[in-house]
This record gives sequence, C-alpha cells and structure tokens, in this order.
Amino acid sequence: MAEEQKREVLVEVKNLEVTYGSGRKAYKAVSNANFTIYKGETFGLVGESGSGKTTIGRAIMRILPTSGGEILYKGQKINGKISHALDKQIIKEIQMIFQDPQSSLNERAKVSYIVGEGLMNVRPDLSAAEREAKVRQALLDVGLLPEFASRFPHEFSGGQRQRIGIARALIVEPEFIIADEPISALDMSIRAQVLNLLRHIQKERNITYLFIAHDLSVMRYISDRIAVIHKGDIVELADAEELVTHAIHPYTRSLLSAIPMPSPRRERNKHLLVYDPSMHDYSKEAPQWRELRPNHFVLCSEAEAKQWLSEM
Amino acid sequence: MQKNQLILSVKDLNIKFNLRGKVLHAIRGIDLDVYHGEVLAIVGESGSGKSVFTKSFMGLLDANGSISSGTIDYYGADDGKPIRLSELTKEKDWLKVRGHEIAMIMQDPMTSLNPLKTIGDQIMEAVELHQGLKGKAAKEKTLEYLRDVGITDAEKRFDQYPHEFSGGMRQRVVIAIAVACNPQILICDEPTTALDVTIQAQILELLKEMRVKYNLTIILITHDLGVVANIADRVAVMYAGDIVEIGTSDEIYYDPRHPYTWALLSSMPQMGIKGEDLFNIQGTPPNLFTEIHGDAFAPRNPQALKIDFVKRPPYFNVSLTHKAKTWLLDPRAPKIDPPAAVQMLKEEGM
Repeated sequence: MAEEQKREVLVEVKNLEVTYGSGRKAYKAVSNANFTIYKGETFGLVGESGSGKTTIGRAIMRILPTSGGEILYKGQKINGKISHALDKQIIKEIQMIFQDPQSSLNERAKVSYIVGEGLMNVRPDLSAAEREAKVRQALLDVGLLPEFASRFPHEFSGGQRQRIGIARALIVEPEFIIADEPISALDMSIRAQVLNLLRHIQKERNITYLFIAHDLSVMRYISDRIAVIHKGDIVELADAEELVTHAIHPYTRSLLSAIPMPSPRRERNKHLLVYDPSMHDYSKEAPQWRELRPNHFVLCSEAEAKQWLSEM
Repeated sequence: MQKNQLILSVKDLNIKFNLRGKVLHAIRGIDLDVYHGEVLAIVGESGSGKSVFTKSFMGLLDANGSISSGTIDYYGADDGKPIRLSELTKEKDWLKVRGHEIAMIMQDPMTSLNPLKTIGDQIMEAVELHQGLKGKAAKEKTLEYLRDVGITDAEKRFDQYPHEFSGGMRQRVVIAIAVACNPQILICDEPTTALDVTIQAQILELLKEMRVKYNLTIILITHDLGVVANIADRVAVMYAGDIVEIGTSDEIYYDPRHPYTWALLSSMPQMGIKGEDLFNIQGTPPNLFTEIHGDAFAPRNPQALKIDFVKRPPYFNVSLTHKAKTWLLDPRAPKIDPPAAVQMLKEEGM
C-alpha cells in the first residue's frame, strides 16, 4: 500500500458519466466509472461489446463529450470546456491506436502523410525535411522500412498497417496511449508481434497504456491492473494476476470461464459460467465499491460481499 | 450414413486464380479425407487458403478461380452414389449440393442475414425449399429450429428483423438456417471471430449440440488454435495453401511436429509469461504468385534445415491418425526441440 501511494497518478476518472442522445432518447452508456491510471503502467479495461469500454476511451480522448463526472490528466480537468493551451497539450500527450487497421488509415494518403500529419499540428516549427526524417525514424521504431513512407496503405498487410497506426501515434511523443482493441483484428502470428512491439515501446519510452479489449487472456498477459466493465458499470478492479486467480464478481468469473485454452483435456472439463444480472437483488441495498481483498475492488452489496467471499 | 464412414475425399487438389494476368496458386496439392460425424477444424492465417479450400466444396469460388487439377468426391448423397464435386460445372447440379448436402455458416452474422426480411421468413425459406413443407407445417418446423438454437420466446422472435437481435443471437439464427437445409456437412467459416469471448463459447456449445441432434459432419475454419480445442475431433493446420499437419486434437495440441504448428501454439497470449516476449513468427506468409520451392514455412523458420529450401517435404506418418509435412520427421534429420510453450503443453497431455 505504501508503495502504491508513491506512484505518480497520470489519469484519474471520477464518477464519469457518458450519455448518448438527449431527452427521451438519452442512453447512459457509462454510469459512474471510477479508476486511476498510474504513470508507466498498462491499465486494462475489459468487457463485452456494448459494455462502454470504448466509450470511456473516447471520452478520455475528448472525442466524446461527457455528461457528468471528471477526467483528470496530471491533476487537470480535461473534460468539458478547457483552455486552448491545455487542449494543445492533450492532443500531443494523449494518442490513440485503433482497432481495425483496414479502416483507420486514409486510403488516399501516402504513409508519410498519415504518419506525419500529427507533427504538422504539434510541431509546426519543423521543416518538411525534418518532418520527413522523423517519419522515417518512426517507421523504423515500429519495425517497418523507411522506404515504406512513399507507399499507400493498400500495399500493406494487416499487421503492417497496424504498425503504421502505432507509428502515427508515437511520432508526437505521447505520454499516454489509448489502445482500443489493437490486436483483435489481426492474425494469431501477427498478434504476438504487435503485443511485443507495444511492450518494447512502453519500456523504452515509459509510456502509459489504457488497453481496451474483450479478451481476458490477452489482458492477463499485457496489463498490470485490470478493470472489468459490464453495461457501463465497472464491477471489479485488481492487479492482473490477482483478478485472474481470485476473481470475485460473477461477471468476471463468467468471462474467465469462457477463455479458450489450447488444451483439449482442460477444455473438455470446462464449465461455462453464464452471468445473469438478475441475480443481484439491489432493491434493499444499492451496490457499493468495496475493497474485498487488498487492492481488489468489487461493486457489490454487503450481503453479496459476504456470500462471494465465503464461496471462494 | 454410418458414423466414421468416408463422406468427403479430396485428392491432390490445386486451385489457381487469375489476377490481372498473373496466376495465384492458392491451393497447392491438398489431400484430405473427412469422415461422417466428426468435427474437423482447419486452422490457418488469413491468406493460407482455408476459405478458398472449403468454398471449392460448394462451387463458390470467384469467377477468376478454378480447380486446375485434383478431385473432390462426396459420398454422402441419399442415393449412395458418389458425386465428383470437382467436375460439377452447371449451376443446376450445384443447387442439389448446396444447402441440402453441404451448408455453410459465414463469419459475420451482421452481414449474412437479409435486413429486410423477418428472421422467421429467412429460416422458413430454407425449410420450404429443402424439406418441402408448406404453410402451417413449415412455420411449426421453423419455430422448432428457433427453439433448438436456444432462442427463447420463439413465436415473438419469429416476426422480428435481424436488427432486433444481438450478434450472438444472429449467429444462432444463421445456424438455424443452415441446419434447416438438412445438410450432411456443415462448413463454419470463422463462426465466432466477430463475437465476444463469452458468446463465442456459447456458440461452440450450440454447434456441439447441433452435431449430435442433426447427425452433422462439421468443418470448422478458424485462425485461432485456442478456440477449437474444445470442439474439434481432428485438427488440420494450413499454411500457404497446403495442410502441413493433421491429427486428432490431442495429437496436435500435445504432440505437434511441424515447426509452424509449434509457432502457432507458442504465439498465443494464453501461453505468454508476463514480462517476457511472446514467441513470435518473424516475417509474413509467402507470396503465392511466385512458385514456392521446398517447405513454404522455411523462410520464417530460424531453425530450418538446408533441405527445407530445396525440396518440398512429403507427409511423414507419426501415428495412424497423425501426419506432418516436415523434414524434421525424416529419420536422418537432426533432433530439434520444440519451443518451451509446446513442451509445457506436452507435459499437460501426459
């Protein structure tokens, strides 16, 4: 715990609420999300489609407006109306890697433009030649050849395109990267390459990741801490190993039970747990965020906490 | 048809595509036997030819592609007569095979359903066409299929449109349509890739149930070896248009022999150790426009032997059910140990 407090907080999300639409059509995609991301760590956000994990990522990126709560970056509020200078700082320091490398690159632009575009905004002082040099270096950094700068996206495979997407994020030297399902559209052998690359970059440059995915097996490998989100609520948060080995919330346990294992014998004995949200009786007591084990938080009622802990 | 009888036999199949004057050799001499009642998984990366290969069983190759040599024989027809699928040319003949003998489930349930028709109508269409039922009987049967694939409140759901269904539910509808054709063989092309992990596990469970209930032979195409351990009886690993290793799932997971199978198994994040690099395969799959000499995987295999670059390996039998195309199985080959993750799996299998 003492060590925990020494770590520098980079991003803090407090009571975040994001609503799509307005009036009668309003739909609350994220309600009351709370978490802290420390500098240099990989924070995993895992949940099914429609759970609101991408929405949170986009709200931090300021792509989506928030309807309540606060997002603090280095202690400054970055949601809602902010100063021009802060906006500029955030554009430079927070970058995003997208899920689908087939649709996230401009088909009509050359790689040099795709990767270098960010620099034009962030570093207008650079000359074209300096920019070009930086693009070549960024391509080298992600394991591509500098010559690729003059080519178009369609000439590349899925794995290479995702590397271009990573180079585009890296070139402005961000401190915080939101990676939204960066490997789910890739082939097995390419996934490992991209995961390794992301890890190496993190080590070299001390970058902080918010890693969004639906697959707990990937999360366990890449993340330091994992938050599990279900229908807009974060239901469990803990260190990656702790979460995987001592999952408490039934939703997390159902996610864990569904991880496919490359072992026929283990698979034959597997019991799929199906999560039914109607199991919670919150009519008498609203669920609260409780620390049930050291640094392991679960959204539950008092009665549930007792019951789940005794079942473990 | 009896369980374990030969239902589909592919011999030395070659498929080529013409692309702007260049020839792409997509399938390079595949031999494969499929037995009635089994679940066969075909695993490979994108571009390995796994979809092209299975599409050729249904005459669904794009117009610029054709079978250049080899045969595909189908033995599951009601009258017991074999059908040589590789020589069918008329659309009329194919219509007898498609759906009724061999049906297919596509990857993305978002695009494989007609958004303008109710899902009841879409299933009923298959029931009417392939089972000759009409009116009330057809509707009853359709409702039965809906319940079979785990859709509750079938009467109400019958009149709903695809957009009112979630991804997992849509895939269940697609399965219902395929099963309503009363096929012998069901080809599932990446049926769970577009779905969440929990839904994926449920769909695989459903396929298992359907196989027993409707006496199906299932060919399951996937790029993820982790997914099929649960359901497959046998696994075929494809690389660059060829099946490089095939065996029962225990043999493939616990005793793989081909370096490509090793690489696939070890690069899974499930096998990764935190803080250490995942095993990764360098480079990209070969270009099938140029002729491949030797073992197609050799350029990406740091431990490749000299002969791998010169001569294409034949199948070496490991057991009656297990064979692999790698020179490592030749008695003269040096002994090369599989990577650590594969050895871990091996111990688990003992």
